[in-house]
Amino acid sequence: MIHRGLIMRFSNANSLLSTASSMLVYLAFFLLIGLPLTLVVMQVIFPDVFNPNNPNFEMSFGPLGRIFSLPRVYLAILHSVELASLVGVLATILGGAFAVIVQRCDIPWRKTVRIIPWIVFLTPAYLKTVAWVLLMSPGGYLAEFGLLPPLTGSLFFAFPGLTLVHALGLFPFATFIIGNALRGLGSEMEDAARLGGVSLWRIWLKINLPLLAPALALSFIAIFAQVLSDFGLASTIARMSNFGVLTYEIYAATSSYPIDFPLAGTQSLVLLSLVTVAVVADRLLRRKDDLKLISGRSRPSRDYRLGYWGWVVTVMAFIVAFIALILPVGAVIIRALTRTLSEGMSLHNFTLVNLIEASNIHSMAFTALSNSLRYAVIASLISCAAAVSLALQLEGPGKFMRSSVMSLALASVAIPGIVFGFGYILMWNRLPFFKDFSFPHYGDSSLLITGYVGVALPYALIVVMASIGQLAPSLNDSARLFGVGGFRRVIRITLPLIAFSVLTGFILNFIHIMFELPVSQMLIPRTESPAPIYVLRLLNYDKDGLACALSLLSMLIAGGAALILWLGFRWVASRNGAANNGQWISTPSLTGDR
Amino acid sequence: MTAELFCHGVTKHLGGRPILQALNLDVKAGEVVSLLGASGSGKTTLLRCIAGLMAPDAGTIKLDGKTVFGDGLTVAAEKRRIGMVFQDYALWPHMTVAGNLSFALQSQQLSASEIQARVENALDLARLVPLRNRHPAELSGGQQQRVAIARCIAARPSLMLFDEPLSNLDAALREDLRTEMMDLVRHEGLTVVYVTHDQSEAMAVSDRIAVMRDGLLAQFASPQEIYDRPANAFVAGFIGGFSALPMVELGQSEGYLVIRPEDACPVTDYPDMTITGRVSARAFQGRCWRLTLEIGNSRVKIDWPNDVSLDQSLQFSLPPARRLTVHH
Repeated sequence: MIHRGLIMRFSNANSLLSTASSMLVYLAFFLLIGLPLTLVVMQVIFPDVFNPNNPNFEMSFGPLGRIFSLPRVYLAILHSVELASLVGVLATILGGAFAVIVQRCDIPWRKTVRIIPWIVFLTPAYLKTVAWVLLMSPGGYLAEFGLLPPLTGSLFFAFPGLTLVHALGLFPFATFIIGNALRGLGSEMEDAARLGGVSLWRIWLKINLPLLAPALALSFIAIFAQVLSDFGLASTIARMSNFGVLTYEIYAATSSYPIDFPLAGTQSLVLLSLVTVAVVADRLLRRKDDLKLISGRSRPSRDYRLGYWGWVVTVMAFIVAFIALILPVGAVIIRALTRTLSEGMSLHNFTLVNLIEASNIHSMAFTALSNSLRYAVIASLISCAAAVSLALQLEGPGKFMRSSVMSLALASVAIPGIVFGFGYILMWNRLPFFKDFSFPHYGDSSLLITGYVGVALPYALIVVMASIGQLAPSLNDSARLFGVGGFRRVIRITLPLIAFSVLTGFILNFIHIMFELPVSQMLIPRTESPAPIYVLRLLNYDKDGLACALSLLSMLIAGGAALILWLGFRWVASRNGAANNGQWISTPSLTGDR
Repeated sequence: MTAELFCHGVTKHLGGRPILQALNLDVKAGEVVSLLGASGSGKTTLLRCIAGLMAPDAGTIKLDGKTVFGDGLTVAAEKRRIGMVFQDYALWPHMTVAGNLSFALQSQQLSASEIQARVENALDLARLVPLRNRHPAELSGGQQQRVAIARCIAARPSLMLFDEPLSNLDAALREDLRTEMMDLVRHEGLTVVYVTHDQSEAMAVSDRIAVMRDGLLAQFASPQEIYDRPANAFVAGFIGGFSALPMVELGQSEGYLVIRPEDACPVTDYPDMTITGRVSARAFQGRCWRLTLEIGNSRVKIDWPNDVSLDQSLQFSLPPARRLTVHH
């Protein structure tokens, strides 16, 4: 009886502890993501709820009506949708072509062509933006080489230029999505059609393209949502072109005098709604996009032998790489190593002054860089730790809870940073109780870090949950049967097996935060400004040489640190017998009879 | 060390569907019992309930006379001292073979020397000593299976559960490993519950077989008894390729005639019974031809000494001692 009583009390205490820790993790998730977004919606429905003079819950659709009455607002919506749609189509075509080339064509330099989209994807977006300004300005590098007729320059700082820069930066999304679908497609259905005498052209038109349709649509939607959420181009080329888009208008409404929170809320809601439509469409399509339904055992597809045409394709791929990557990064490097833009690439213009100032530990530029490094490390660590705790908590409850948190995380990834930032302002500057907090505090770096954690948490959660989801439940079950307790199972079984994913999540978030712009802009601390904001400030003061040097240094330090971490982990893992990129090979089957 | 198992009235619903329906199962100490059934019959669910990885909705489970589930009491899986060989073996991929064995023992708060001795003994028994420093990914399927068994043996569980442990292996390996695996557990005198959907595997490994259907035991008896006297048409159909021919086809009112393929013989041998059918399929099997006959709306399979053309009518009989009639 004593034994039985002990067991029952032990299990009750255990379940209480587990419930309490679950509640804490869910509360953190709610405070970091759920509440700020709720406040944005509240701001729209009750326009005066955060009015510092006379706060009230009077409902009004007045702010919503301003969508149609203020030309600046409805033009921004139209511009955003127009830009996102066209970029979605162009980047999907370009990325799709890359996917077909690297997946299905036997071309020279294939391995090199394969990594082009990855390098473009990993290059910070605002760095490319700065570079294009340097390249396309009337006194820029392309004009210096006589490669830019005057009309082209003015066309660039308008809708066509924005479209081009976005499409060149976002085509890797399409390559990854369509490439994955192509891999899963295999060649069985194509082979069957070939045996039936169907021409290659008709095979693509009637078989491959219809089967790839969900992936093409997914790619369009993902890119559409990315363009809608972009703040880098919106605050540089779009602003310089007087091509107002939603993200910049939200920022302008919260930062220009008089501050107009109701308008910012309304525009945020419109932006959120557009992104939500994209996310819902994405979710619906992903349900259908299970190529296993088409073929459970597809064979790897055969390559198309292009002969001499292969060289033509390779050269075209390198031209894309040159325009999307080498040209902009090269422009940033050259600008970082020169005194003035107007003197171009003449020998006497080259200098190390910018790099020396950026790397001088007493300079403001280096201080901004070290601030960013500190913020990125802290926020990435917190977000990864929170993601691991939440993911482990979700292993207990049923599938519904897991899938709903996963859906929420996926949806949160698509939420524009500018809306997040606005939600944080409402919460920490206007909401009673929270506005009196000393830590985190509005205007402090503590709130900026909290904002970064909110932005980074969904990414970390997706990576960690996907990794935990791949662990066979039997690995944990067998440890339980051998009497291994819960904490020890986490430390000895789960964590070592997901360590690589946690590290991946950390590195992704670290790089993301180092170059994060919208939340940094909205929650900019009074002191200790992060590097991206300082870069923008330098650009506004025409100190673009130092801005480029600081950007370059940030990229080198962030990339170098990430590489060292990754290689270090791989080294440790290989010493301990891990296989396959530091990941442990799982036991044969991950499924069982139920 | 080895224990008897008692399950009474074990009931479990999943997604509103009954998976186990007040099921009773007793396993004696040292006995090997197979749970045999088709997918969805509830065999894995029962196994997980016994292990404590899933809580039944109702019923009682006792291990060596002590209640581990029932009367408002649930003993956690980690406290039941049950070993389990999973379908995917569940070897911890980041630990070596020896690491897999010792990690399982460290939670039992044994002395280092005791752990060492048990690991060495289990590695030796399973012929894994040369592989002790390898990781699971560096082992073949058969070697992985031996590690999974050795891990259980080292932990000295009171009951050992096998969840379709051979289903990931190819046919050629399966038979060799089955013998090897059962030698190991018999040598240790362990009580075993073995889940499989393969009747020949169940026949080969078990002292008794529990044939499961829709969460109930359709028959629980020794392999020979099930072979000789299947309890009903379902068991007869599930075991050994038997056919259950409705007696209606033979002009009688109810029941099923169990026809074992190897029992079919020419009518001249036993003229008191004549069954006539039309040959709808035939396959050469070396010693005989396996014929499929259509008899009314039913199909039966028989082994026949010579080839018969398709669509030809064929008459056969059964020895009187093998004419078994069962109910549905």
